[in-house]
Amino acid sequence: MTNISRRNFLKISGAAAGAVMLGHFLPPPVAEAARLAGQIDADGDGYIPTLCEMCVWRCGVRAKIAKGKVVKLEGNPDQPHSQGRLCARGQSGLMTTYDPDRVLYPLVRVGQRGEGKFRRASWDEALDIVATKMQEIKDKYGPEAMIFSSTHNLSQVGFENLLNGFGSPNYGTQRSLCFNAMIVANLMTYGMEEPARDYSQLKYLILTGRNLTEAISTSETAAFVDAVARGVKVIYIDPRYTKTAAKSTEWLPIKPGTDLAFHLALLNVIIGEKLYNEKFVEEHTVGFDELAAEVAQYTPEWAAALTEIPADMIRCIAREFSEAAPYALAHNGWRTSNFVNSFQTQRAITILNAITGNWGVTLLPAAGEGGGGLGKPPQPPYPRISALRLDGVPWKYPFVPLKLGVFQQLRDSILEGKPYQARGWFISRQNPVQSLPDRNRTLEALGKMDFIVTVDVILNDTSWFADVVLPEASYLERYDPLLPVGNRIFLRQPVVEPQGEAKSALWIFKQLGERLGLSDFFQYEDEEDYLRQQLMPLGVTLEEIKTHGFIELPKKEGGLEYKWNTPSGKIELKSSTLEGAGYTAIPKWEAPPAAPDGQFHLLTGKVGQHTQMSTQNNQYLHKYQDEPRLWMNAQSAEKLGLKDWDLVEVTSEVGSVKLALQVTQAIRPDSVYMTPGFGKLSKGLTTAYGVGASDSVLHVTYTDPVSGGQALSQTCVTVKKA
Amino acid sequence: MAQKKCYGFVIDVSRCIDCRACLVACSAENKVGMKYTRIWVRDLGVKGEYPNLERTFVPYNCMHCENPPCTQVCVSGATYKDKETGLVLVDQEACIGCGFCVDACPYNARYLDRERGVVDKCTGCIQRLQVGQQPACVTTCVGKARLFGDFNDPASEVSVALKNARAIQRLDYELADGTHTEPNIYFINGDVMDPQVQPHEPTYSLAETSWKSLLIPAVLAGIGASFLGQATFFTKQLVEGEKEFEE
Repeated sequence: MTNISRRNFLKISGAAAGAVMLGHFLPPPVAEAARLAGQIDADGDGYIPTLCEMCVWRCGVRAKIAKGKVVKLEGNPDQPHSQGRLCARGQSGLMTTYDPDRVLYPLVRVGQRGEGKFRRASWDEALDIVATKMQEIKDKYGPEAMIFSSTHNLSQVGFENLLNGFGSPNYGTQRSLCFNAMIVANLMTYGMEEPARDYSQLKYLILTGRNLTEAISTSETAAFVDAVARGVKVIYIDPRYTKTAAKSTEWLPIKPGTDLAFHLALLNVIIGEKLYNEKFVEEHTVGFDELAAEVAQYTPEWAAALTEIPADMIRCIAREFSEAAPYALAHNGWRTSNFVNSFQTQRAITILNAITGNWGVTLLPAAGEGGGGLGKPPQPPYPRISALRLDGVPWKYPFVPLKLGVFQQLRDSILEGKPYQARGWFISRQNPVQSLPDRNRTLEALGKMDFIVTVDVILNDTSWFADVVLPEASYLERYDPLLPVGNRIFLRQPVVEPQGEAKSALWIFKQLGERLGLSDFFQYEDEEDYLRQQLMPLGVTLEEIKTHGFIELPKKEGGLEYKWNTPSGKIELKSSTLEGAGYTAIPKWEAPPAAPDGQFHLLTGKVGQHTQMSTQNNQYLHKYQDEPRLWMNAQSAEKLGLKDWDLVEVTSEVGSVKLALQVTQAIRPDSVYMTPGFGKLSKGLTTAYGVGASDSVLHVTYTDPVSGGQALSQTCVTVKKA
Repeated sequence: MAQKKCYGFVIDVSRCIDCRACLVACSAENKVGMKYTRIWVRDLGVKGEYPNLERTFVPYNCMHCENPPCTQVCVSGATYKDKETGLVLVDQEACIGCGFCVDACPYNARYLDRERGVVDKCTGCIQRLQVGQQPACVTTCVGKARLFGDFNDPASEVSVALKNARAIQRLDYELADGTHTEPNIYFINGDVMDPQVQPHEPTYSLAETSWKSLLIPAVLAGIGASFLGQATFFTKQLVEGEKEFEE
């Protein structure tokens, strides 16, 4: 690509030799900076604060450094998300950095896709290949033929600059596989994505599938345990007896897909018996009369037949909940049991909190992670985009925010080649092979690509099929853009040098941008320069933040106001937006499909030792995880003649896997459960390979037409001895 | 002189969610080998008939007994009860890896690290205690189920927790000689009277194996204080056979 004259070559190699010699005497930059900041001593021992990235909760971390290596991670006691604590995943973060399977150098595929044969390449060569391929696709088919996908993270701004600067509308996130139903329901009802929850005054809690002790958000999980310890009544609704069920006052093993019926019946009782907060409803909501008329038919007896929760129990919960209000909370979870009716379930939950007047006590407007007065490097406006998005937003899914998208639809549009054929896929910190439903279809979609590049720390199942893998520095080895939350600004900073030749996302995106003629979107010298430009308007130096890992700015005058950003400016029990587009404006019963005879509902859900599909290769988490098995109720197992630890074959209409059986009392007889993220394809994951089976092989793609959410619990399976 | 200290744990069983942050924290802090663990969360299992179920998790590690049976059987004097803190510790330089103490513990709280040829166990993170920090498992505990402190200090977190507890249980064990282990872990606000976590009869003890009770003092006497270091090395080689030591 570049011509190097002999004279220049000599100059470069001379400089390189000098750098090598000097490098021998100069301390590594991270250690030097930490030493200057007084964080580590002359021996390279001490503590450096940063932010966790083992999940998306972003706890504060104090990394203990000994002789230039991370030896222990501690929760930062001054940070609100960790309060000095880290969960198992947070504690194990150093083993992500020191994973023996780390990708240390840029890799270029040499064998067939999926064979896992790669050769080592220099950064220059790898970046040149990626930029050349991307440019070829753009020139031949238009920028929309390149798909960009990434999972919610702090480097997203850089990623978005690359995608928007390149001019592609095709932005894939993980959110439609997670919480689209909840976010869109909150937007339609409250005009905000997700209110904050406050447990400090709580007396009564309804958890609809929110498994707080296994799907851990450290501060919220801690607040939940405190609440349980002080005797808060917890109603836990889940077809599975999880660890959260074990801590709850009541476990109600609801029939999968009927959470909506349960919540409609609560509304029926609370409205029918006039137990709602009349003043709050009058002042802050619209559509109450229509709601009352709709829910009048949803009696507890009606719901009991569907949910298999006794009518008296439903009536009792409705009364106790409204009695405890406003110190009550119906948690809308990140997702419920996830059927196509989950959007209406989420709407019913938001409405339940509204009419009982829990606002301002257990539900608060979120402080939000935006702005914070931070600056950013200058950049020109993005090029105009005229192509349709392949994920159907908004032309097929009008209510789904662009930044959420409908990822499974994106995959299906690749396969259909409609409205146009995608040719290339840029994937950063994401593993769609395991996260999307129906793995066979995802692999087929990858097969249709002319070019696939991933940015990753290990060879996850998607990188295994890539043409080029760009090795990213782990979160303990890099800077990311600053995180403003409320009046605080948090910093992720490197605590050790990157392993091998790994580089930060900020560096990788800039290098690619420059090669693609998009330098104007990456106007920073290096990572620290990016952060300094962010801090410029605040008059705060980077050094000030580096010392404690965050900085507190003066609080803005006045508290957070209730500002419901809906068309009416009030909480919309009846959504005018949904009504205007001809959708169900008031939650209405939608029956889920029943499991065919002899089949089970396939449930999936988190364990406290792993985050989605990304942590199974971490040796510490591997050490302390349970063998991932298929849960089946003892009664059902007996009927099928199956025993504990039997190898069973699980089959859905799209795929089949084999794994060991776990016979248990802790699940409904009509359901089975699998832990996601196992059954790796990539042999580059030497710790996780060969453990368990992948749920994504079995999941059938079902999309909720309103929120675009994937109905992850709607798949049914048969089970037999393998 | 300050009052004698008695460090130990209070475990609030109602607060443990089996997230296992403590287990990873301990492994990282103490560089515990990937095959081993110094501490546990004992899952008593899903009990009852669907849908009336119960499940209890019991954080568990060395009880740092007042009267530890492990120290009595130690051939080399490596296992001792620390005078200053009351913690039961192993001097791994002196340990010959014979494993008698592992068999003598009614709580299965010790293990023989075969790679290193020494016995290992919970130390109450004494290296952290010395610099004013709590044990790694305690600081990171998401549910605040694990507490640590000095039972002789009435203002300590553990003393206060005991005073306010709804229920207190201790897994005490009566040894063959009639004395009691008097463990320094107190379980509060939950029932741990389950066979899965109850102490069991040691598979090795001085009282029952009379020839060893004679042998050990004889060996100790034979070794003699001034030759202890060399003798330890020698005995280690004897016990471990052909296994090479990195030191």
